[in-house]
Amino acid sequence: MGVHPPFHDCSPLPLPAGHLPALRTQDEGTISKPQQIITHLRKQKYNADYDLSATQSADTLAFVSLLEEKLLPVLIHTFWVDAKNYVEHTRKWYAETIPFPLNFFLPNAMHKRHLERLQLMWGDDYMEDEEKLEKELYREARECLTLLSQRLGSQKFFFGDSPASLDALVFSRLAPLLKAKLPNGKLQQHLKSLQNLCNYCTSILSLYFPWDRGDPLTGAPRAAGTDGSEAEEDPHKRRKQLLSVLVGLAAMLGYAFLSGIVSIQRGSVGPAGRQPVTLEEEEEEEEE
Amino acid sequence: MCNLPIRVICRANAEYMSPSGKVPFIHVGNQVVSELGPIVQFVKAKGHSLSDGLDEVQKAEMKAYMELVNNMLLTAELYLQWCDDVTVEEITHPRYGSPYPWPLNRILSYQKQWEVRRKMKAIGWAGKTLEQVLEDVDQCCQALSQRLGTQPYFFNKQPTELDALVFGHLFTILTTQLITDELSEKVKNYSNLTAFCRRIEQQYFEGHDKDSCTVSVQSSKKSSLLK
Repeated sequence: MGVHPPFHDCSPLPLPAGHLPALRTQDEGTISKPQQIITHLRKQKYNADYDLSATQSADTLAFVSLLEEKLLPVLIHTFWVDAKNYVEHTRKWYAETIPFPLNFFLPNAMHKRHLERLQLMWGDDYMEDEEKLEKELYREARECLTLLSQRLGSQKFFFGDSPASLDALVFSRLAPLLKAKLPNGKLQQHLKSLQNLCNYCTSILSLYFPWDRGDPLTGAPRAAGTDGSEAEEDPHKRRKQLLSVLVGLAAMLGYAFLSGIVSIQRGSVGPAGRQPVTLEEEEEEEEE
Repeated sequence: MCNLPIRVICRANAEYMSPSGKVPFIHVGNQVVSELGPIVQFVKAKGHSLSDGLDEVQKAEMKAYMELVNNMLLTAELYLQWCDDVTVEEITHPRYGSPYPWPLNRILSYQKQWEVRRKMKAIGWAGKTLEQVLEDVDQCCQALSQRLGTQPYFFNKQPTELDALVFGHLFTILTTQLITDELSEKVKNYSNLTAFCRRIEQQYFEGHDKDSCTVSVQSSKKSSLLK
């Protein structure tokens, strides 16, 4: 924390395989896996864990595992697989932010990918039995949140007064859950009941994301509304316009050919085209 | 560790007997409970628990370390057994299929291999090389070693569920013979971890028959006792 790369719109184009998060660097192109991003930043001498003791580093590894195993799959389920949340919130949110024409395909593709991943991790038992899922997996996720709250206690960050990579990870998982307007928000309710975690997220938001006052998740549409900075905020605007025009043109031409309005006749046009030229040549010869 | 009377029985179809398809599981009266988490809850409901003396922060840390072991050690063990081609051909297929006649032995072991590889792909481990997996094991052992320090158990004087889980995995890694010793060497690099295993083995398992099986968390294979 303390690195301030400029944040623009969150379009997955032209990111590798459409994955977020992604870091665009000057020397190494675009890096998309979180671990690779952390390694790159450490090479540039940005290391949030520099001051941690050996035990604290070990604790970091352990809590990261806890988050990834117990909380992350349930978060994915909440945002991407739970029917109500997906249709009313997530799909709409991504479709508004992703540029045309990918906004028709990408949210569904991501939904399928997440569903498949959860099916493999949890097995069909849990995916089909809503009650079992709710009872066991959501309970474990709620327990994970409670454990995080107990570990944080009344401290400002997990390891004292300055943030470390664990804080970044916890914040990245909790902030969307806290701020998103989910129609079906069981897990969200539990998070909101843990006051110290809510204060923790809010303080990090105000410290490190001050340009996103209020709801950070409506950032993209709001940015598009500000005049004068549109060109700076959207370097792909030209390309989007060109793409739209090309797609429109291709559609019109395609329709024209298919419906027979325009047709290419190779046999007659060729010789007919040449005839006037040959007549002129003969006239010239005659004149000479 | 809770001093409850148990009998360990090895069965080839243990995975199929288990209600969730995973080992270990316990059979108490007319109830069958599988996997470490539910077993701990079950035993706690009957009034026995190893972690009652811990405060809230320590309980959180214990759960986190247990997840770390499951995430890294268990997955690395599965990877080595089912995704490393040499190990699969020479050790895993013969061992997994040994209770069954041909062709069932080959069919069942290929089926299991396919299932494990699919899961590896889902969690992103399919693309890892053996070196990367061993590196992860090393990181995990380093974290465990740092947490253990010079204490006899992870939470000082009394063993907890974490100690039991770590012992189960490390003991299996140290005593199971594979093609190379790379995996067990990673653990042996940390002397406090090997001392920890030896201490628990002496305290809780000496005096049992040399041929009996020790409880392992991921499969029903036999393992030889540490000499």
